[in-house]
Amino acid sequence: MKLYQLSILEVTDGSAKLLSSAADLSSFSFYQRGSVGEFMTFMAKTVAERTAVGQRQSVQENSYTAHVYNAGRENLAAVVITDEEYPVRPAFSLLQKLIDDFVTSVPKTTWSNPSSIDFPAAKAYLAKYQDPKQADQIMRVQAELDETKIILHKTIEGVLQRGEHLDSLVERSNALSAQSKMFYKTAKSQNSCCVVM
Amino acid sequence: MPVQDRTNEFKACVESIRNRSSYPARGGAKDRLLQPSNGHAKPKGGSKSEFSRMAMSIGKDISSTTLKLQKLAQLAKRKTLFDDRPVEISELTFIIKQDIANINKQLAGLQAHVKAQQAGKTGGGKQVEEHNANVVTLLQSKLMSTSMTFKDVLEIRTQNMKETKDRTEQFVHSTSSAAIQPPPSNSLLFNKPRNDDPRYNIQNKGKARVQDSDLLALDMVAAEEGQGGLQELQYMDNQQDYIQSRSTAIESIESTIAELGNIFSQLAHMVAEQRETVQRIDADTTDIADNISGAQRELLKYYASISSNRWLMIKVFGAIIVMFLIFVLVN
Repeated sequence: MKLYQLSILEVTDGSAKLLSSAADLSSFSFYQRGSVGEFMTFMAKTVAERTAVGQRQSVQENSYTAHVYNAGRENLAAVVITDEEYPVRPAFSLLQKLIDDFVTSVPKTTWSNPSSIDFPAAKAYLAKYQDPKQADQIMRVQAELDETKIILHKTIEGVLQRGEHLDSLVERSNALSAQSKMFYKTAKSQNSCCVVM
Repeated sequence: MPVQDRTNEFKACVESIRNRSSYPARGGAKDRLLQPSNGHAKPKGGSKSEFSRMAMSIGKDISSTTLKLQKLAQLAKRKTLFDDRPVEISELTFIIKQDIANINKQLAGLQAHVKAQQAGKTGGGKQVEEHNANVVTLLQSKLMSTSMTFKDVLEIRTQNMKETKDRTEQFVHSTSSAAIQPPPSNSLLFNKPRNDDPRYNIQNKGKARVQDSDLLALDMVAAEEGQGGLQELQYMDNQQDYIQSRSTAIESIESTIAELGNIFSQLAHMVAEQRETVQRIDADTTDIADNISGAQRELLKYYASISSNRWLMIKVFGAIIVMFLIFVLVN
Protein backbone atom coordinates (compact mmCIF):
# COMPACT_ATOMS: atom_id res chain seq x y z
CA MET A 1 0.00 0.00 0.00
CA LYS A 2 1.83 3.05 -1.18
CA LEU A 3 1.16 6.65 -1.86
CA TYR A 4 2.96 7.96 -4.90
CA GLN A 5 1.97 11.54 -5.23
CA LEU A 6 -0.05 14.15 -3.50
CA SER A 7 -0.98 17.35 -5.24
CA ILE A 8 -3.17 20.38 -4.84
CA LEU A 9 -4.52 22.21 -7.85
CA GLU A 10 -6.61 25.24 -8.51
CA VAL A 11 -9.39 24.47 -10.94
CA THR A 12 -10.96 27.37 -12.80
CA ASP A 13 -13.27 26.91 -15.79
CA GLY A 14 -12.11 23.45 -16.66
CA SER A 15 -8.39 24.12 -16.50
CA ALA A 16 -6.24 23.13 -13.58
CA LYS A 17 -3.14 24.81 -12.29
CA LEU A 18 -0.79 22.88 -10.06
CA LEU A 19 -0.22 24.75 -6.81
CA SER A 20 1.75 22.31 -4.71
CA SER A 21 2.70 18.69 -4.85
CA ALA A 22 4.76 16.11 -3.02
CA ALA A 23 5.86 12.82 -4.44
CA ASP A 24 7.48 9.65 -3.20
CA LEU A 25 8.91 7.84 -6.19
CA SER A 26 11.46 5.77 -4.34
CA SER A 27 9.89 2.54 -5.53
CA PHE A 28 10.76 3.29 -9.14
CA SER A 29 14.17 2.85 -10.65
CA PHE A 30 16.21 5.99 -10.93
CA TYR A 31 15.82 6.41 -14.65
CA GLN A 32 12.09 6.02 -14.65
CA ARG A 33 11.43 8.59 -12.01
CA GLY A 34 11.40 11.57 -14.27
CA SER A 35 8.85 10.23 -16.69
CA VAL A 36 6.73 8.71 -13.99
CA GLY A 37 6.66 11.98 -12.13
CA GLU A 38 5.57 13.90 -15.18
CA PHE A 39 2.96 11.33 -16.03
CA MET A 40 1.55 11.58 -12.56
CA THR A 41 1.41 15.35 -12.71
CA PHE A 42 -0.39 15.17 -16.00
CA MET A 43 -2.81 12.56 -14.69
CA ALA A 44 -3.55 14.68 -11.63
CA LYS A 45 -4.28 17.70 -13.81
CA THR A 46 -6.55 15.81 -16.17
CA VAL A 47 -8.49 14.13 -13.46
CA ALA A 48 -8.91 17.33 -11.49
CA GLU A 49 -10.21 19.14 -14.52
CA ARG A 50 -12.83 16.50 -15.08
CA THR A 51 -14.18 16.44 -11.58
CA ALA A 52 -17.20 18.57 -10.76
CA VAL A 53 -17.37 20.78 -7.72
CA GLY A 54 -17.91 18.96 -4.45
CA GLN A 55 -17.39 15.60 -6.05
CA ARG A 56 -15.09 12.76 -5.18
CA GLN A 57 -13.82 10.35 -7.80
CA SER A 58 -11.50 7.41 -7.99
CA VAL A 59 -9.98 6.65 -11.32
CA GLN A 60 -7.98 3.53 -11.94
CA GLU A 61 -5.42 3.18 -14.67
CA ASN A 62 -3.08 0.21 -15.02
CA SER A 63 -1.79 -0.25 -11.53
CA TYR A 64 -2.35 3.24 -10.24
CA THR A 65 -5.42 4.75 -8.74
CA ALA A 66 -6.03 8.45 -8.54
CA HIS A 67 -8.42 9.70 -5.90
CA VAL A 68 -9.55 13.20 -6.58
CA TYR A 69 -11.65 15.51 -4.49
CA ASN A 70 -12.86 18.82 -5.79
CA ALA A 71 -13.52 20.86 -2.73
CA GLY A 72 -15.25 23.78 -4.34
CA ARG A 73 -13.72 26.02 -1.72
CA GLU A 74 -11.52 28.58 -3.42
CA ASN A 75 -11.70 26.31 -6.50
CA LEU A 76 -9.26 23.92 -4.95
CA ALA A 77 -8.93 20.28 -5.79
CA ALA A 78 -6.64 17.67 -4.29
CA VAL A 79 -5.41 14.53 -5.98
CA VAL A 80 -3.62 11.57 -4.48
CA ILE A 81 -2.14 8.85 -6.66
CA THR A 82 -1.74 5.50 -4.97
CA ASP A 83 -1.47 1.85 -5.82
CA GLU A 84 -4.47 -0.41 -6.03
CA GLU A 85 -4.45 -1.72 -2.49
CA TYR A 86 -4.78 1.57 -0.71
CA PRO A 87 -8.16 1.79 1.00
CA VAL A 88 -10.43 4.36 -0.54
CA ARG A 89 -11.99 6.00 2.46
CA PRO A 90 -8.83 7.10 4.25
CA ALA A 91 -7.56 8.46 0.95
CA PHE A 92 -10.49 10.82 0.74
CA SER A 93 -10.22 11.87 4.32
CA LEU A 94 -6.55 12.60 3.66
CA LEU A 95 -7.54 14.81 0.72
CA GLN A 96 -10.02 16.66 2.84
CA LYS A 97 -7.46 17.29 5.53
CA LEU A 98 -4.91 18.42 2.99
CA ILE A 99 -7.22 20.98 1.48
CA ASP A 100 -8.22 22.35 4.86
CA ASP A 101 -4.60 22.65 5.86
CA PHE A 102 -3.66 24.31 2.60
CA VAL A 103 -6.41 26.87 2.84
CA THR A 104 -5.42 27.87 6.34
CA SER A 105 -1.66 27.92 5.92
CA VAL A 106 -1.00 29.31 2.47
CA PRO A 107 -2.23 32.84 1.75
CA LYS A 108 -4.34 33.27 -1.31
CA THR A 109 -2.15 35.94 -2.83
CA THR A 110 0.63 33.51 -3.64
CA TRP A 111 -1.64 31.24 -5.60
CA SER A 112 -1.05 33.04 -8.84
CA ASN A 113 2.62 32.16 -8.59
CA PRO A 114 2.83 28.45 -7.93
CA SER A 115 6.58 28.24 -7.65
CA SER A 116 6.56 30.55 -4.66
CA ILE A 117 4.21 28.42 -2.63
CA ASP A 118 5.91 26.59 0.17
CA PHE A 119 3.73 23.91 1.68
CA PRO A 120 5.87 21.40 3.58
CA ALA A 121 2.85 19.85 5.17
CA ALA A 122 2.16 18.03 1.92
CA LYS A 123 5.35 16.06 2.25
CA ALA A 124 4.59 15.37 5.89
CA TYR A 125 1.14 14.07 5.04
CA LEU A 126 2.55 11.93 2.27
CA ALA A 127 5.01 10.32 4.64
CA LYS A 128 2.49 9.89 7.40
CA TYR A 129 -0.22 8.36 5.28
CA GLN A 130 2.01 5.71 3.76
CA ASP A 131 0.55 3.50 6.44
CA PRO A 132 -3.13 4.30 6.51
CA LYS A 133 -3.81 2.01 9.41
CA GLN A 134 -1.87 4.27 11.71
CA ALA A 135 -2.70 7.63 10.25
CA ASP A 136 -6.43 7.39 9.76
CA GLN A 137 -8.34 7.93 12.94
CA ILE A 138 -11.09 5.47 12.32
CA MET A 139 -8.81 2.66 11.30
CA ARG A 140 -6.53 3.25 14.23
CA VAL A 141 -9.40 3.17 16.66
CA GLN A 142 -10.68 -0.03 15.09
CA ALA A 143 -7.27 -1.68 15.32
CA GLU A 144 -6.88 -0.69 18.96
CA LEU A 145 -10.34 -1.97 19.75
CA ASP A 146 -9.57 -5.31 18.16
CA GLU A 147 -6.40 -5.54 20.19
CA THR A 148 -8.31 -4.73 23.35
CA LYS A 149 -10.88 -7.38 22.52
CA ILE A 150 -8.17 -10.01 22.20
CA ILE A 151 -6.69 -8.98 25.51
CA LEU A 152 -10.10 -9.16 27.13
CA HIS A 153 -10.68 -12.65 25.78
CA LYS A 154 -7.43 -13.75 27.35
CA THR A 155 -8.43 -12.08 30.59
CA ILE A 156 -11.70 -13.93 30.66
CA GLU A 157 -9.90 -17.20 30.14
CA GLY A 158 -7.64 -16.31 33.04
CA VAL A 159 -10.64 -15.56 35.18
CA LEU A 160 -12.17 -18.92 34.29
CA GLN A 161 -9.01 -20.68 35.35
CA ARG A 162 -9.02 -18.69 38.54
CA GLY A 163 -12.55 -19.91 39.12
CA GLU A 164 -11.44 -23.49 38.74
CA HIS A 165 -8.57 -22.98 41.14
CA LEU A 166 -10.87 -21.38 43.63
CA ASP A 167 -13.24 -24.32 43.42
CA SER A 168 -10.49 -26.81 44.12
CA LEU A 169 -9.28 -24.60 46.98
CA VAL A 170 -12.74 -24.55 48.45
CA GLU A 171 -13.00 -28.31 48.35
CA ARG A 172 -9.62 -28.77 49.95
CA SER A 173 -10.25 -26.26 52.67
CA ASN A 174 -13.56 -27.99 53.36
CA ALA A 175 -11.85 -31.34 53.75
CA LEU A 176 -9.13 -29.82 55.88
CA SER A 177 -11.70 -28.17 58.10
CA ALA A 178 -13.51 -31.48 58.61
CA GLN A 179 -10.28 -33.24 59.43
CA SER A 180 -9.20 -30.61 61.92
CA LYS A 181 -12.60 -30.87 63.55
CA MET A 182 -12.16 -34.61 63.95
CA PHE A 183 -8.71 -33.99 65.35
CA TYR A 184 -10.12 -31.57 67.89
CA LYS A 185 -12.89 -33.94 68.88
CA THR A 186 -10.47 -36.81 69.32
CA ALA A 187 -8.18 -34.70 71.44
CA LYS A 188 -11.10 -33.56 73.52
CA SER A 189 -12.39 -37.07 73.99
CA GLN A 190 -8.98 -38.17 75.19
CA ASN A 191 -9.26 -35.65 77.97
CA SER A 192 -12.75 -36.57 79.07
CA CYS A 193 -12.36 -40.26 79.78
CA CYS A 194 -10.03 -40.13 82.74
CA VAL A 195 -9.63 -43.82 83.19
CA VAL A 196 -7.26 -44.30 80.33
CA MET A 197 -6.60 -47.99 80.66
CA MET B 1 -45.18 -23.70 48.87
CA PRO B 2 -46.84 -22.65 52.12
CA VAL B 3 -45.53 -19.50 53.63
CA GLN B 4 -43.68 -20.19 56.85
CA ASP B 5 -42.98 -17.68 59.48
CA ARG B 6 -39.42 -18.20 60.59
CA THR B 7 -38.92 -14.90 62.33
CA ASN B 8 -38.35 -16.60 65.68
CA GLU B 9 -35.66 -18.86 64.27
CA PHE B 10 -34.00 -15.86 62.70
CA LYS B 11 -34.09 -13.98 65.97
CA ALA B 12 -32.59 -17.00 67.78
CA CYS B 13 -29.77 -17.18 65.22
CA VAL B 14 -29.00 -13.49 65.65
CA GLU B 15 -28.87 -13.90 69.42
CA SER B 16 -26.59 -16.93 69.26
CA ILE B 17 -24.20 -15.23 66.88
CA ARG B 18 -24.13 -12.15 69.02
CA ASN B 19 -23.30 -14.18 72.11
CA ARG B 20 -20.66 -16.19 70.28
CA SER B 21 -18.84 -13.25 68.81
CA SER B 22 -15.84 -11.97 70.76
CA TYR B 23 -15.91 -8.62 69.03
CA PRO B 24 -16.23 -5.84 71.57
CA ALA B 25 -15.53 -3.22 68.90
CA ARG B 26 -18.31 -4.53 66.72
CA GLY B 27 -20.82 -4.36 69.55
CA GLY B 28 -19.70 -0.85 70.28
CA ALA B 29 -20.10 0.10 66.64
CA LYS B 30 -23.54 -1.43 66.58
CA ASP B 31 -24.58 0.55 69.58
CA ARG B 32 -23.30 3.67 67.98
CA LEU B 33 -25.34 2.92 64.91
CA LEU B 34 -28.48 2.30 66.90
CA GLN B 35 -28.19 5.40 69.04
CA PRO B 36 -27.46 8.33 66.83
CA SER B 37 -27.92 10.68 69.73
CA ASN B 38 -24.15 10.38 70.39
CA GLY B 39 -22.31 13.43 69.15
CA HIS B 40 -19.46 11.30 67.78
CA ALA B 41 -21.90 9.06 65.99
CA LYS B 42 -23.88 11.86 64.42
CA PRO B 43 -21.85 11.95 61.18
CA LYS B 44 -21.73 8.15 61.06
CA GLY B 45 -25.42 7.76 61.63
CA GLY B 46 -26.04 10.53 59.15
CA SER B 47 -23.71 8.94 56.61
CA LYS B 48 -25.39 5.57 56.99
CA SER B 49 -28.84 6.99 56.43
CA GLU B 50 -27.44 9.04 53.56
CA PHE B 51 -26.12 5.84 52.00
CA SER B 52 -29.43 4.09 52.45
CA ARG B 53 -31.23 7.13 51.04
CA MET B 54 -29.05 7.17 47.94
CA ALA B 55 -29.43 3.42 47.51
CA MET B 56 -33.19 3.70 47.89
CA SER B 57 -33.47 6.46 45.31
CA ILE B 58 -31.32 4.48 42.90
CA GLY B 59 -33.47 1.40 43.41
CA LYS B 60 -36.61 3.43 42.78
CA ASP B 61 -35.14 4.90 39.60
CA ILE B 62 -34.17 1.47 38.39
CA SER B 63 -37.66 0.12 38.96
CA SER B 64 -39.29 3.05 37.18
CA THR B 65 -36.87 2.66 34.27
CA THR B 66 -37.77 -1.03 34.10
CA LEU B 67 -41.43 -0.10 33.85
CA LYS B 68 -40.77 2.36 31.02
CA LEU B 69 -38.65 -0.27 29.31
CA GLN B 70 -41.52 -2.72 29.43
CA LYS B 71 -43.81 -0.17 27.83
CA LEU B 72 -41.21 0.50 25.14
CA ALA B 73 -40.86 -3.23 24.52
CA GLN B 74 -44.57 -3.50 23.97
CA LEU B 75 -44.56 -0.56 21.58
CA ALA B 76 -41.59 -1.95 19.68
CA LYS B 77 -43.19 -5.34 19.26
CA ARG B 78 -46.12 -4.04 17.25
CA LYS B 79 -45.89 -5.02 13.64
CA THR B 80 -48.62 -2.92 12.05
CA LEU B 81 -47.71 -1.15 8.88
CA PHE B 82 -49.46 2.12 9.38
CA ASP B 83 -50.08 2.66 13.04
CA ASP B 84 -46.41 2.78 14.00
CA ARG B 85 -45.80 5.63 16.42
CA PRO B 86 -42.20 6.59 15.76
CA VAL B 87 -42.36 9.86 17.67
CA GLU B 88 -43.52 8.19 20.84
CA ILE B 89 -41.02 5.38 20.52
CA SER B 90 -38.10 7.69 19.93
CA GLU B 91 -39.17 9.92 22.81
CA LEU B 92 -39.42 6.95 25.12
CA THR B 93 -36.05 5.65 23.96
CA PHE B 94 -34.49 9.00 24.64
CA ILE B 95 -36.03 9.22 28.10
CA ILE B 96 -34.91 5.73 29.00
CA LYS B 97 -31.39 6.44 27.79
CA GLN B 98 -31.23 9.55 29.92
CA ASP B 99 -32.54 7.64 32.93
CA ILE B 100 -29.95 4.93 32.54
CA ALA B 101 -27.17 7.50 32.26
CA ASN B 102 -28.51 9.24 35.33
CA ILE B 103 -28.67 6.05 37.34
CA ASN B 104 -25.16 5.20 36.24
CA LYS B 105 -23.92 8.54 37.52
CA GLN B 106 -25.74 8.11 40.80
CA LEU B 107 -24.33 4.64 41.22
CA ALA B 108 -20.81 5.89 40.52
CA GLY B 109 -21.32 8.57 43.14
CA LEU B 110 -22.59 5.97 45.58
CA GLN B 111 -19.57 3.78 44.98
CA ALA B 112 -17.23 6.71 45.54
CA HIS B 113 -19.13 7.44 48.73
CA VAL B 114 -18.72 3.88 49.94
CA LYS B 115 -15.01 3.95 49.12
CA ALA B 116 -14.61 7.22 51.03
CA GLN B 117 -16.39 5.64 53.96
CA GLN B 118 -14.14 2.61 53.87
CA ALA B 119 -11.05 4.78 53.73
CA GLY B 120 -12.24 6.89 56.65
CA LYS B 121 -13.14 4.13 59.09
CA THR B 122 -10.43 2.28 60.99
CA GLY B 123 -11.87 -1.09 61.84
CA GLY B 124 -15.26 -0.98 63.34
CA GLY B 125 -18.35 -1.81 61.37
CA LYS B 126 -16.83 -4.29 58.96
CA GLN B 127 -20.25 -5.77 58.46
CA VAL B 128 -21.65 -2.40 57.49
CA GLU B 129 -18.92 -2.02 54.88
CA GLU B 130 -19.66 -5.47 53.54
CA HIS B 131 -23.35 -4.71 53.48
CA ASN B 132 -22.76 -1.46 51.61
CA ALA B 133 -20.50 -3.18 49.10
CA ASN B 134 -23.10 -5.90 48.60
CA VAL B 135 -25.85 -3.35 48.06
CA VAL B 136 -23.73 -1.50 45.52
CA THR B 137 -23.02 -4.73 43.66
CA LEU B 138 -26.68 -5.63 43.67
CA LEU B 139 -27.69 -2.26 42.24
CA GLN B 140 -24.98 -2.49 39.61
CA SER B 141 -26.12 -5.92 38.49
CA LYS B 142 -29.72 -4.69 38.33
CA LEU B 143 -28.70 -1.74 36.20
CA MET B 144 -26.73 -4.07 33.94
CA SER B 145 -29.70 -6.33 33.37
CA THR B 146 -31.87 -3.28 32.64
CA SER B 147 -29.45 -1.97 30.03
CA MET B 148 -29.25 -5.44 28.45
CA THR B 149 -33.01 -5.53 28.14
CA PHE B 150 -32.91 -2.04 26.66
CA LYS B 151 -30.43 -3.15 24.06
CA ASP B 152 -32.56 -6.15 23.16
CA VAL B 153 -35.61 -3.96 22.76
CA LEU B 154 -33.71 -1.61 20.46
CA GLU B 155 -32.59 -4.54 18.35
CA ILE B 156 -36.14 -5.81 18.05
CA ARG B 157 -37.24 -2.35 17.05
CA THR B 158 -34.61 -2.05 14.27
CA GLN B 159 -35.60 -5.46 12.95
CA ASN B 160 -39.24 -4.52 12.87
CA MET B 161 -38.49 -1.25 11.17
CA LYS B 162 -36.57 -3.08 8.48
CA GLU B 163 -39.43 -5.50 7.98
CA THR B 164 -41.99 -2.72 7.69
CA LYS B 165 -39.79 -0.91 5.20
CA ASP B 166 -39.54 -4.05 3.07
CA ARG B 167 -43.26 -4.52 3.20
CA THR B 168 -43.99 -0.92 2.24
CA GLU B 169 -41.60 -1.25 -0.66
CA GLN B 170 -43.52 -4.25 -1.86
CA PHE B 171 -46.68 -2.25 -2.00
CA VAL B 172 -45.25 1.00 -3.28
CA HIS B 173 -43.03 1.07 -6.34
CA SER B 174 -40.49 3.71 -5.28
CA THR B 175 -38.40 5.86 -7.59
CA SER B 176 -35.19 4.51 -6.11
CA SER B 177 -35.68 1.18 -7.87
CA ALA B 178 -36.05 3.03 -11.17
CA ALA B 179 -32.87 4.96 -10.53
CA ILE B 180 -30.86 1.80 -10.03
CA GLN B 181 -31.31 0.84 -13.67
CA PRO B 182 -29.27 3.54 -15.42
CA PRO B 183 -25.80 2.86 -13.98
CA PRO B 184 -25.47 -0.58 -15.61
CA SER B 185 -26.35 0.91 -18.95
CA ASN B 186 -23.82 3.62 -18.14
CA SER B 187 -21.06 1.04 -17.95
CA LEU B 188 -22.05 -0.43 -21.31
CA LEU B 189 -21.84 2.96 -22.91
CA PHE B 190 -18.56 3.45 -21.16
CA ASN B 191 -17.14 0.36 -22.78
CA LYS B 192 -18.08 1.50 -26.25
CA PRO B 193 -16.05 4.70 -26.40
CA ARG B 194 -13.11 2.77 -25.03
CA ASN B 195 -12.86 0.86 -28.29
CA ASP B 196 -13.42 3.89 -30.45
CA ASP B 197 -10.62 5.61 -32.26
CA PRO B 198 -8.46 7.65 -29.95
CA ARG B 199 -8.87 11.05 -31.41
CA TYR B 200 -7.44 12.82 -28.45
CA ASN B 201 -3.88 13.97 -28.96
CA ILE B 202 -1.68 14.76 -26.07
CA GLN B 203 1.79 16.17 -26.14
CA ASN B 204 3.69 14.35 -23.50
CA LYS B 205 7.02 12.71 -22.99
CA GLY B 206 6.61 9.20 -21.53
CA LYS B 207 5.24 7.48 -24.59
CA ALA B 208 4.21 4.11 -23.12
CA ARG B 209 2.23 5.68 -20.36
CA VAL B 210 0.58 8.15 -22.63
CA GLN B 211 -1.39 5.46 -24.38
CA ASP B 212 -3.21 4.50 -21.23
CA SER B 213 -3.81 7.99 -20.11
CA ASP B 214 -5.10 8.59 -23.61
CA LEU B 215 -7.85 6.09 -23.18
CA LEU B 216 -8.46 7.38 -19.71
CA ALA B 217 -8.95 10.92 -20.90
CA LEU B 218 -11.18 9.58 -23.62
CA ASP B 219 -13.36 7.84 -21.09
CA MET B 220 -14.00 10.97 -19.19
CA VAL B 221 -14.58 12.98 -22.35
CA ALA B 222 -17.04 10.51 -23.82
CA ALA B 223 -18.88 10.15 -20.59
CA GLU B 224 -19.24 13.84 -20.24
CA GLU B 225 -20.33 14.36 -23.77
CA GLY B 226 -22.83 11.57 -23.42
CA GLN B 227 -25.28 11.18 -20.62
CA GLY B 228 -25.22 14.24 -18.50
CA GLY B 229 -28.20 13.47 -16.35
CA LEU B 230 -27.29 9.91 -15.52
CA GLN B 231 -23.79 11.05 -14.90
CA GLU B 232 -25.06 13.28 -12.16
CA LEU B 233 -26.64 10.28 -10.58
CA GLN B 234 -23.32 8.55 -10.58
CA TYR B 235 -21.72 11.61 -9.02
CA MET B 236 -24.20 11.38 -6.22
CA ASP B 237 -23.52 7.68 -5.88
CA ASN B 238 -19.86 8.45 -5.46
CA GLN B 239 -20.64 10.92 -2.72
CA GLN B 240 -23.01 8.47 -1.17
CA ASP B 241 -20.44 5.72 -1.39
CA TYR B 242 -17.87 7.71 0.48
CA ILE B 243 -20.29 8.82 3.12
CA GLN B 244 -21.73 5.35 3.41
CA SER B 245 -18.37 3.74 3.75
CA ARG B 246 -17.55 6.18 6.51
CA SER B 247 -20.77 5.44 8.28
CA THR B 248 -20.26 1.67 8.03
CA ALA B 249 -16.76 2.00 9.40
CA ILE B 250 -18.01 4.04 12.31
CA GLU B 251 -20.85 1.63 12.89
CA SER B 252 -18.46 -1.26 13.06
CA ILE B 253 -16.43 0.65 15.62
CA GLU B 254 -19.57 1.27 17.59
CA SER B 255 -20.53 -2.39 17.56
CA THR B 256 -17.01 -3.36 18.63
CA ILE B 257 -17.23 -0.96 21.53
CA ALA B 258 -20.60 -2.40 22.49
CA GLU B 259 -19.12 -5.89 22.38
CA LEU B 260 -16.29 -4.74 24.57
CA GLY B 261 -18.74 -3.32 27.04
CA ASN B 262 -20.54 -6.62 27.06
CA ILE B 263 -17.34 -8.48 27.73
CA PHE B 264 -16.47 -6.14 30.56
CA SER B 265 -19.80 -6.66 32.21
CA GLN B 266 -19.45 -10.43 31.88
CA LEU B 267 -16.05 -10.17 33.46
CA ALA B 268 -17.40 -8.19 36.37
CA HIS B 269 -20.14 -10.77 36.81
CA MET B 270 -17.69 -13.63 36.95
CA VAL B 271 -15.47 -11.88 39.45
CA ALA B 272 -18.46 -11.14 41.64
CA GLU B 273 -19.45 -14.80 41.56
CA GLN B 274 -16.00 -15.85 42.48
CA ARG B 275 -15.94 -13.46 45.39
CA GLU B 276 -18.48 -15.64 47.19
CA THR B 277 -16.25 -18.67 46.75
CA VAL B 278 -13.33 -16.74 48.16
CA GLN B 279 -15.37 -15.84 51.18
CA ARG B 280 -16.20 -19.48 51.78
CA ILE B 281 -12.55 -20.38 51.62
CA ASP B 282 -11.81 -17.63 54.07
CA ALA B 283 -14.42 -18.89 56.52
CA ASP B 284 -13.12 -22.42 56.19
CA THR B 285 -9.57 -21.42 56.95
CA THR B 286 -10.63 -19.54 60.07
CA ASP B 287 -12.53 -22.62 61.19
CA ILE B 288 -9.49 -24.74 60.60
CA ALA B 289 -7.34 -22.37 62.62
CA ASP B 290 -9.86 -22.45 65.48
CA ASN B 291 -10.10 -26.22 65.48
CA ILE B 292 -6.39 -26.73 65.47
CA SER B 293 -5.81 -24.29 68.28
CA GLY B 294 -8.56 -25.95 70.31
CA ALA B 295 -7.08 -29.38 69.70
CA GLN B 296 -3.69 -28.11 70.77
CA ARG B 297 -5.22 -26.79 73.97
CA GLU B 298 -6.79 -30.13 74.71
CA LEU B 299 -3.54 -31.94 74.10
CA LEU B 300 -1.72 -29.58 76.39
CA LYS B 301 -4.29 -30.20 79.10
CA TYR B 302 -3.97 -33.89 78.57
CA TYR B 303 -0.23 -33.68 78.76
CA ALA B 304 -0.49 -31.66 81.93
CA SER B 305 -2.89 -34.13 83.43
CA ILE B 306 -0.71 -37.04 82.42
CA SER B 307 2.41 -35.58 83.94
CA SER B 308 0.67 -34.73 87.18
CA ASN B 309 -1.52 -37.77 87.42
CA ARG B 310 1.19 -40.33 87.60
CA TRP B 311 0.35 -40.50 91.24
CA LEU B 312 -3.15 -41.71 90.31
CA MET B 313 -1.77 -44.28 87.89
CA ILE B 314 0.65 -45.64 90.50
CA LYS B 315 -2.32 -46.14 92.74
CA VAL B 316 -4.23 -47.92 89.97
CA PHE B 317 -1.25 -50.12 89.16
CA GLY B 318 -0.73 -50.90 92.83
CA ALA B 319 -4.38 -51.99 93.10
CA ILE B 320 -4.04 -54.30 90.08
CA ILE B 321 -0.85 -55.88 91.41
CA VAL B 322 -2.51 -56.43 94.75
CA MET B 323 -5.41 -58.22 93.03
CA PHE B 324 -2.97 -60.25 90.98
CA LEU B 325 -1.07 -61.28 94.09
CA ILE B 326 -4.31 -62.22 95.80
CA PHE B 327 -5.30 -64.45 92.87
CA VAL B 328 -1.90 -66.12 92.88
CA LEU B 329 -1.98 -66.67 96.61
CA VAL B 330 -5.49 -68.03 96.51
CA ASN B 331 -4.49 -70.49 93.82
